[in-house]
Amino acid sequence: MWAIIKKELKTYFFSPIGYVFIGLFLAMFSIIFYITTISQGAITYQYVFFYSVMYIVVFIIPLLTMRMFSEERKNGTEQLLITSPRSMVAITLGKFIAALLVIIITELFTLVYLAIMYYFKAPAIMTVLTTMFGFLLLSMTYISLGMFISSLTENQIISGISTIAVFVVTWLAPNISTNLIAISLIDKFYPFATGVFPITETISLLSITVMFVLLTMIVMKRRKLVK
Amino acid sequence: MIEVKNVTKKYGNFIAVDNVSFTVNDGEVVGFLGPNGAGKSTTMNMITGFIEPTEGTIEVNGYDILKQPLKAKKKIGYMPEGVPLYNELTVKEFVTFMAELKRVPRKERKEKVAKVLYEVGIEDVANKLIRNLSRGYKQRVSMAGALIGDPEVIILDEPTVGLDPKQITEIRQLIKKLGKKHTVILSSHILSEISQICEKVIIINKGKIIAVDTPANLEKKTESKNVILLTVEDNKNNMEKLNKDIPEILENKFIKNNDDGTKQYMISSNIEFDLRKKLFEILPKKDITIFELKNAEKSLEDAFITLIDTNTREREKEKEEENKKTKETGKEDKNKTEKTIKNEEKKKDKQKKKETTDKEKVGKKIKEETKKQEGGKK
Repeated sequence: MWAIIKKELKTYFFSPIGYVFIGLFLAMFSIIFYITTISQGAITYQYVFFYSVMYIVVFIIPLLTMRMFSEERKNGTEQLLITSPRSMVAITLGKFIAALLVIIITELFTLVYLAIMYYFKAPAIMTVLTTMFGFLLLSMTYISLGMFISSLTENQIISGISTIAVFVVTWLAPNISTNLIAISLIDKFYPFATGVFPITETISLLSITVMFVLLTMIVMKRRKLVK
Repeated sequence: MIEVKNVTKKYGNFIAVDNVSFTVNDGEVVGFLGPNGAGKSTTMNMITGFIEPTEGTIEVNGYDILKQPLKAKKKIGYMPEGVPLYNELTVKEFVTFMAELKRVPRKERKEKVAKVLYEVGIEDVANKLIRNLSRGYKQRVSMAGALIGDPEVIILDEPTVGLDPKQITEIRQLIKKLGKKHTVILSSHILSEISQICEKVIIINKGKIIAVDTPANLEKKTESKNVILLTVEDNKNNMEKLNKDIPEILENKFIKNNDDGTKQYMISSNIEFDLRKKLFEILPKKDITIFELKNAEKSLEDAFITLIDTNTREREKEKEEENKKTKETGKEDKNKTEKTIKNEEKKKDKQKKKETTDKEKVGKKIKEETKKQEGGKK
């Protein structure tokens, strides 16, 4: 699995994708940071994450996930992976963890903003921690969903755009009917911003992640029969 | 050792590989031969575990590819068709990645990567991005990926496609060298290549194996006539009456007048007669001087084309018979009007025409390619 993680990280950072992802995120994060804290004079770090989750993550996580399996399939490199003595579990998890590592690296960068805030006044540390943890969990869920969609098509653009579409649907669905709140992923993130560790939401997000990782493995295994 | 037993691969109603069985022994170099779309790549993909067969079993060195995939795959080095590579990595990084995938121990990794890079002759581009390499180099990088980790079985799908003649001979030599230590399966639609490298040839057409044999035996098998090319000086035109003196002659055909006044004839007989001795005895008596006499050798190419042609003809016959049967049942069935039957016939005719022209094209292409290569070698 380590071999695949290493290779995936290389593809992220030897190509522009990794830098574009982190750059875009930080640029937009800065704007939100300015709007929600500096201009307001507020010491509420969670709001930065709150809005960034809403407006940034939905649109840029597909950058990471759209190529995951689509590119391999299009270039035929999936043949190298599948015919190697590695299980589908290792291949899928390797890819998943690599994308997650990019998110973790990005999140480490955001500590700079926290430091700026500390310069003025220390925010409630518990809230900061739960928010950052929630952000990571939500990103995991998004990655697994994007990865699953990527395993369905060999076209990166289709993969990327349908991922965004699915994210937006889960985001806006509760506005159509409150009955649809169950499929809203972002709604599962809000409780993390309160500073309390929400067990229900954690389990919920984790299980959705596991579900889509498993679904990806199933799709990849099934392709052996259909292809 | 690779054992393929009754393997079938279906895509919906289309049968890509139809009940194929064969074994490849340790240390053998086996060539898969067949026109485009014959099922070569599909078979190879099934052996390597990239796709699963609909029916049948495949064992690689005793491990079932479906039941013990990781152990079986560890024995295999595979170079897929179309040379898939990670363009954003350098050659060395790619080969190292392949070594990691194949669980080459960390301590030996550096050494083994260097060795493979040397073997396939890509040391000088080791630190270049794969994206920037030419096709020939990419091919070799892909081959390095297959060779790393010393797999016992090496499977190469069209290893020489897209290479220049010099590279082709280099790759062939490399494959020959590999054949001494490893079991090698390679596919190709270039016949001269297979006859040069392989000890055994498996010919596939439309998903079915139609012959498994050594290249030499295949050539012999498909010979139905003995053909002799004869260059003679024959001022009295006695050659034309030769059929009376040698009754075994099936055909006595004048080919051309040479510049030096000699003439060339082609004489054929049934396979059991060797006319050379008789010709030497009788021709001088008829005032014919022999300048040159040689057996016209059949190449593997002819063997291949005859085999494929007869095979497809047989299949067409089978189809026709089936069609007749369905037609008869159709007549009984009053609901089926004559119109639909006629339409069907028309469709079939069209298909046949298409198939035959396609075959001709394939034959021509193959000939051209072999010619090009032979020219290149010279």
